[in-house]
Amino acid sequence: MEAVLLFAMVIGLLIIGVPIAVTLGMSSILFLLWFSESSLASVALTLFSAFEGHFTLLAIPFFVLASCFMTTGSVAQRIIRFSISCVGHFPGGLAIAGVFACMMFAALSGSSPATVVAIGSIVIAGMQKAGYSREFAAGVICNAGTLGILIPPSIVMVVYAASVDVSVGRMFLAGVIPGLLAGLMLMLTIYLVAKWRDLPKGEWQGWREVFTSARQAFWGLALIVIILGGIYGGVFTPTEAAAVAAVYAFLVATFVHRDMGPLAVEGHRFVERPHILITALFHPDTRRTLLEAGRLTTTLLFVIANALILKHVLTDEQIPQQIAATILEAGLGPVAFLIAVNIILLIGGQFMEPSGLLVIVAPLVFPIAIELGIDPIHLGIIMVVNMEIGMITPPVGLNLFVTSAIAHMPMMQVVRAALPFLGVLVLFLLIVTYIPILSTFLPTWVMGPEIIAR
Amino acid sequence: MKATVFNQIEETLIAFLFGLMTALTFANVVARYGFGSNILWSVEMAVFLFAWMVLLGASYEVKKNAHLGVDMLINVLPPRLRRWLGLLSVAICLGFSFLMLKGSWDYWANFANLPATEGRWFPLGFESEFRGKGWYEVDDIPMPTALAWIANIFNNGEAYEKIPRLLPYAVLPVSMALLMFRFAEAGWALWNGKIDRIVAGHDTQESVNTMTK
Repeated sequence: MEAVLLFAMVIGLLIIGVPIAVTLGMSSILFLLWFSESSLASVALTLFSAFEGHFTLLAIPFFVLASCFMTTGSVAQRIIRFSISCVGHFPGGLAIAGVFACMMFAALSGSSPATVVAIGSIVIAGMQKAGYSREFAAGVICNAGTLGILIPPSIVMVVYAASVDVSVGRMFLAGVIPGLLAGLMLMLTIYLVAKWRDLPKGEWQGWREVFTSARQAFWGLALIVIILGGIYGGVFTPTEAAAVAAVYAFLVATFVHRDMGPLAVEGHRFVERPHILITALFHPDTRRTLLEAGRLTTTLLFVIANALILKHVLTDEQIPQQIAATILEAGLGPVAFLIAVNIILLIGGQFMEPSGLLVIVAPLVFPIAIELGIDPIHLGIIMVVNMEIGMITPPVGLNLFVTSAIAHMPMMQVVRAALPFLGVLVLFLLIVTYIPILSTFLPTWVMGPEIIAR
Repeated sequence: MKATVFNQIEETLIAFLFGLMTALTFANVVARYGFGSNILWSVEMAVFLFAWMVLLGASYEVKKNAHLGVDMLINVLPPRLRRWLGLLSVAICLGFSFLMLKGSWDYWANFANLPATEGRWFPLGFESEFRGKGWYEVDDIPMPTALAWIANIFNNGEAYEKIPRLLPYAVLPVSMALLMFRFAEAGWALWNGKIDRIVAGHDTQESVNTMTK
């Protein structure tokens, strides 16, 4: 009964416009002071241990930083050129290339809005020039951008792994096959639409262009190998991989592509100014990118830290166990349970920031899933795909907001534009939900069968 | 003028903490493969820097009005009602930061040999008897010589091997006090009609810029 009050409080505060982080924190505090013996000091401790106790979460700022360095630089542009040279000659080629580019950028960055901005701000304008409607272009990118959190690395997966204690490495691997599948499904849809509506196609520019553009994009794409190879080769932990990615992206943007920092100035050459090896660290561009990434991390992590306080309250009060018992008594089978999870997440995902929602919902449904024999990794992928859909459905769809800003379209128009492809993602959600092997095959194959602690 | 200076300080601090945390974690990888040894304290240090950045950054985000929230209802309300709901939200945020400030102080104070406060909801004066925990150290981070003087104040002159806990945890009361101050500022701006909400209006250009660039 008290649990109902807690959730009512959360929803009430959210709706009147209290920031999400404060909503979660305040509801937990009030609940604790009313119903338990805990002191405020213990809440402060919980807030601090959101950081102190979760080394995994430290991967988030580093992944954010890496994608900030790459969005500022020309990495996205190089990837797009490579992508067009590969698939641009198909019917609807530029749109397919846009999806392909989103997939590649998703493999570098862990965030969906970042993927939309990096790829979309170039591709949407390009598609309009090539004769596509703006709605079609925005719809394609808005949807393909959601792959940012499904194709590893992924911030949302890090959050899931941290909140239910599964391995980040496994989660990342589990996202690979579904990520590729979702990308292919989107591409196929575009191909069929292009055949049917006779959309423009580009010209095959020859293998030479493929190789040239691949070489141009090499430094960016090499990061995929560094991150994934590093984690699975046992070279470093996911958190360290993220830090290495951030430093690598900084070096590439500053010294190789020279998009920012001291060498971005026309005529500045490295041999004449070796001291920039040091000064680049304090260059205004570097500071600005650190600040941008820092602000993004702060808003995100303040939500997550407060969600962890709420999670603490839930587990203290044994609410997940109560819900689990109720549901198991009701005789809900795995299939019905997964449908229920999907519905809860789809509704919740429209109002909440994905990571915060995951921190709260994951511990609630996790014990039930384990009882029903659902694989934790599979459950994680289902949740991530739900979050993807949440990102392109109003009212709180991060991708919608970003797309509307970069395509200069009103929100509602983007919502309509995204709708046809949303159907593809919903179909994809069903496939992922009911074919667990898609998610579990790769992690089991690479890292061995997983041990599930009940 | 004053505001810009403070802005600069906050922004530089966020960038600095972030940079240091990244460099430290990266250095640990380099040390492991380049020199065959781990920097033992790098993990703990990075995590503390992380906490400092987010907790101090939270009040900066209040100033920039960039905290995420749901603005669906406030968008459809008439301005008068919106203002009242805004003031109510600020009151709740002030309550939150006040309670967190009390909790943070209570948690931190004994580590700095200071009295925690009495009372469950509101501070009803300081506790009269307590055992100072100034001697309490963190797990790994060694004490730099430059900070050795701290031992004279908090540990009866007995030198610390690791840095005392009072240092990293100090961010709790400091950041919560700052947070409360920023929410009060936001409340004032709301009262005067300078802003009409305290959450990032999702479709404003500002929030998109901070989210993505």
